[in-house]
Amino acid sequence: MAQITLIEAVTQALAWEMAHDPSVVVLGEDVGVNGGVFRATQGLQQKFGPERVIDTPLDETTIAGLTVGMATQGMKPVAEAQFEGFIYPMMEHIACHAARMRNRTRGRLHVPAVWRAPWGGGIRAPEHHSEANEHLFTNIPGLRVVMPSSPARAYGLLLAAIRDPDPVMFFEPKRIYRQYKEEVPDDGEALPLDVCFVLRDGQDVTLVTWGAQVKESLEAADALAQEGISAEVIDLATVKPLDFDTIAESVAKTHRCVIVHEAPRTAGFGAEVAARLAEHSMYDLHAPVERVTGYDTHIPLFRLEMKYLPSVQRIVEAARRTLAV
Amino acid sequence: MSTCASFEIEHLQFLDAEGKLCASVNAPPLAKDHKQLLDLYRQMLFVRVFDAKAVALQRTGKLGTYASSLGHEAVHVGIGSAMRPEDCFAPSYREYGAQFCRGVQPREVLMYWGGDERGNDYSGPRHDFAWCVPIATQCLHAAGAALSYKLRKQPRVAVCCVGDGGSSKADFYGAINVTGAMTLPLVAVIINNQWAISVPRKAQTGAKTLAQKGIAAGLETVQVDGNDLLAVRSAMDTAIARARGGGGGTVIEAVTYRLADHTTADDARRYRDDAEVKAAWAREPMKRLRAYLTAAKVWDDAREEAWKTECAARVDVEVNAYLESKPQPVTAMFDYTYAELPVDLAQQRAQVLAAEHDGH
Amino acid sequence: MADIKTFHLPDLGEGLPDATIVEWLVKEGSTVGLDDPLVSMETAKAVVEVPSPYSGKLVKMHGGNGDVIITGAALAEFEIDPKLPQRAEAQSTGHHHAPPATAGAGSKTGHNGDTVVASDEGGEISSGGAKPAAGDAGTVVGAMQSSDAVHAEQAVSVGGVKAVPAVRALAKKLGVDLTRVAPSGAGGVVTMNDVKLAAASGSARAGAAAVRAVATPGPAAATVAAPAAATRTTLSAAGKPMRTSPPTAHAGVLGQPEQLKGMRRTMARVMAEAHAQIVATSIVDDADLHAWEPGNDITVRLLRALVAACKTVPALNAWFDGANLTRTLHPHVDIGLAVDTDDGLFVPALRNADRLDAAGLRAAVNRARAEVMDRSIAASELSGYTIMLSNFGMFAGRYATPVVVPPCVAILGAGKLHHVTVPVLGGFEAHRVMPLSLTFDHRAATGGEAARFLRAVIDDLALPR
Repeated sequence: MAQITLIEAVTQALAWEMAHDPSVVVLGEDVGVNGGVFRATQGLQQKFGPERVIDTPLDETTIAGLTVGMATQGMKPVAEAQFEGFIYPMMEHIACHAARMRNRTRGRLHVPAVWRAPWGGGIRAPEHHSEANEHLFTNIPGLRVVMPSSPARAYGLLLAAIRDPDPVMFFEPKRIYRQYKEEVPDDGEALPLDVCFVLRDGQDVTLVTWGAQVKESLEAADALAQEGISAEVIDLATVKPLDFDTIAESVAKTHRCVIVHEAPRTAGFGAEVAARLAEHSMYDLHAPVERVTGYDTHIPLFRLEMKYLPSVQRIVEAARRTLAV
Repeated sequence: MSTCASFEIEHLQFLDAEGKLCASVNAPPLAKDHKQLLDLYRQMLFVRVFDAKAVALQRTGKLGTYASSLGHEAVHVGIGSAMRPEDCFAPSYREYGAQFCRGVQPREVLMYWGGDERGNDYSGPRHDFAWCVPIATQCLHAAGAALSYKLRKQPRVAVCCVGDGGSSKADFYGAINVTGAMTLPLVAVIINNQWAISVPRKAQTGAKTLAQKGIAAGLETVQVDGNDLLAVRSAMDTAIARARGGGGGTVIEAVTYRLADHTTADDARRYRDDAEVKAAWAREPMKRLRAYLTAAKVWDDAREEAWKTECAARVDVEVNAYLESKPQPVTAMFDYTYAELPVDLAQQRAQVLAAEHDGH
Repeated sequence: MADIKTFHLPDLGEGLPDATIVEWLVKEGSTVGLDDPLVSMETAKAVVEVPSPYSGKLVKMHGGNGDVIITGAALAEFEIDPKLPQRAEAQSTGHHHAPPATAGAGSKTGHNGDTVVASDEGGEISSGGAKPAAGDAGTVVGAMQSSDAVHAEQAVSVGGVKAVPAVRALAKKLGVDLTRVAPSGAGGVVTMNDVKLAAASGSARAGAAAVRAVATPGPAAATVAAPAAATRTTLSAAGKPMRTSPPTAHAGVLGQPEQLKGMRRTMARVMAEAHAQIVATSIVDDADLHAWEPGNDITVRLLRALVAACKTVPALNAWFDGANLTRTLHPHVDIGLAVDTDDGLFVPALRNADRLDAAGLRAAVNRARAEVMDRSIAASELSGYTIMLSNFGMFAGRYATPVVVPPCVAILGAGKLHHVTVPVLGGFEAHRVMPLSLTFDHRAATGGEAARFLRAVIDDLALPR
């Protein structure tokens, strides 16, 4: 069985689904011959041909509009935005059409499409290649926003996303594309959408996170364990729709919550989690909710980017603060 | 220096403004097919009757903002009648004449402008696109549909309409570009009615014609007199046959005039003068086709009145169906957001339902 | 003293893992100037001439022609010549090159196989690495950490149930209670398949009481423990005291107003509203249980009697809307069963009590009580009942005027069983009786209906079984 990285899991999932569902096509810039700038679609055009893996002209608007059109006519396109920093021109088709088509036509037309994009910072990239903008999509009704944090979850959640009858934004944290390998059987088994994954059990504090910060949160949990603090780590995986029940259950047990995300603080998705905690878990909380996030600045160019991204140290300190109350 | 590319744009017209066949061109076969022409004329008249009624509904507070298609009857009916049922149509928000040809019901038009999503749930062409407000985005959707037909090797054609204003937008350029790059079965019709709300055609682009934008995309292009049904049909028939046969896409610029305001919320007298509008009326499509058919002795005033009466009756049936329709239940706000309601949305739906029962 | 600097092989092409020395362009021991050509290296993409990063004497070469040098490993050492110009040192940007020490509970991450994707100056490898992933870097910009280390998420034990995170997520999605799934994985681990089977058979619905057989088949039996409720403790795992109540509310402060929260708050509000709306009238009597055979389940008999009475007098199994003056007679009987806890009164609904047999009623009561006790009961199950039952007699009290909560119109209260002496022909007998109190909303039902209802309850309770 293959031990593969997160990016390879993406390829594996695409290959499996394309082999079993002829209505699935991949489109984007450089996805065909080049296999994608991160090799997400490596080998797929060779295997499935240029009619299934399509190199488009250089225009994000075109890619997004084609995706909507194809999806309404019964295909399942998986579009790639080469970097999430280039996804903005796609937003009109995503927000105005993909997210609305089912509602607008009372179900007559719908858009079973996936938009994939490499997401987030930390790879010393040039400007605009390090964006974390999932919160721009989480407020759009009719969309799903999914973010894997491991090879197995990338495989299972991408399959689920492709099979879902509604549009899904699938943001792949590029910083952890190759951080480690995992055994991921190529069995076509999807993982469930709309539920959190509890990655680590704890009693004293709940760490809620998603994407690349799952890595730092688990490391923080290890560090806290050295101090005798047992942290529960929850990976949202599906950021929207949010499975709040899992978080509420956890906080009912631990009474403390630290939310970790890379995107800027104000109105980042952590604010939604914190608001729901205030609405539903007020009497379970023994300390204010902490958010460890990017600052309300643009992510700096890479010489300073590691000072911007939530670090293990910041997470540990936030957890300690919840216990010091 | 050598010339590596050059272009010509043809302008196609068969019927002049008075309804006489132009001597300099060979008339298309449709010119002699009086039976079909009468049918098309009747459809055009129906649209005009419906359109006037819709404006009246808006002015009497029974309809929301409405975009009139006055003056566009030849373009719209010419486009719709050239298509097959299995083809797909991506309108902007004005092309009712084309849509009625394809099976959309007038009451569906009224529902949409009346603020009810059920209007978009066409009973007729189930795969056609809904009315599209974000300008020119429908062109890329049509290109996507065309791509799906090509990939699946289906002999189907996608047709989109866009205005002179819309031809400035990035989505339009993207659509015709990818149509040329991938040889897609798309027919893009630029309906140049001279005005994008208050912005005149000459402010949209420095290009001499809008059709020539297709040249830049490597497509066949033609400019037609959009008020001449014969010209519109001729160009559409050629373009659709080309697309269906695998020959790729076409850009058609149909030159016409927006005889009404942009929508019922607009007042065109603010920015264009009456003399121009009067001159446009002299060139309008119904008049010339009526003259042609009358000269061919297959139409007359009595038949015109009789048909108008019948149109009014049919329109009344549709209007009443719209006016008598009950609003959707409040839960309809939720029920089409996803295929299945996620938990938190289901909770919101339940709250709204409970509030309804409590009489809030 | 000689100032020796080590030159580590930089990343020559955006994430390349290594390069091969083609040819040293300078001899060992010779002096080389800053940016003079030093060595020719071949990468997966091209042959690259690497300039010298220092001015000084090349004192050591860490490989010969044809040797592969891993990116970030030492390539050459220089003795700096302070009289010659040098390039300024760049600061570390803090990019995290090594994989984490551990990557989650029970992970099996190895430290071998790190590839350091170096900074422009050449960063250091953290540990001697095994062969890194060969081939292209697969990134068009920047540099990312890349590792061959294999990691597997382990099954974690929660409340005695072991399952990997993905299995737990699936259980949540399908509404399966993991504590009620028989695990088939090695070591008592619940697998994906176990969850799917449980979901398909409906055998382990979440929210139901964990009524588990102690003996489970298979080798996993020993590890299947009873589900432990999350016990509240005031100490953290390290034995440090943790605050267990919010700063503003101090448990047990006497003499000070205490803000009501949770169920107590709800109870206060609900009772006040009920009192304001209902026209409460009570009628009391006793049921004679003398004829009961051994083995009767008191609560089940009460529930059954209540159902029987609802069928006889449907007017009390109804909802009343005082604002609109409507009443809704129900075809089914959902009994709201009052359950008392430290935190206050809960009223879970026993659905379709009219269709359950004795065993079903007992199971439903147990489930409802358990869910209330562990607070796992869904909010939807605390409302929507058609008639109410309060068995307060477990403690003390014979007759009461229990409160009817709108929109219901009736509540039956059962008091403490006791014996009374009853005159019978020729003497006296001691009969066990159950005191009954029926409160009803006189807006919705007549006294006659209430009396006939109570009669039906008494008659059913009097039956031997």
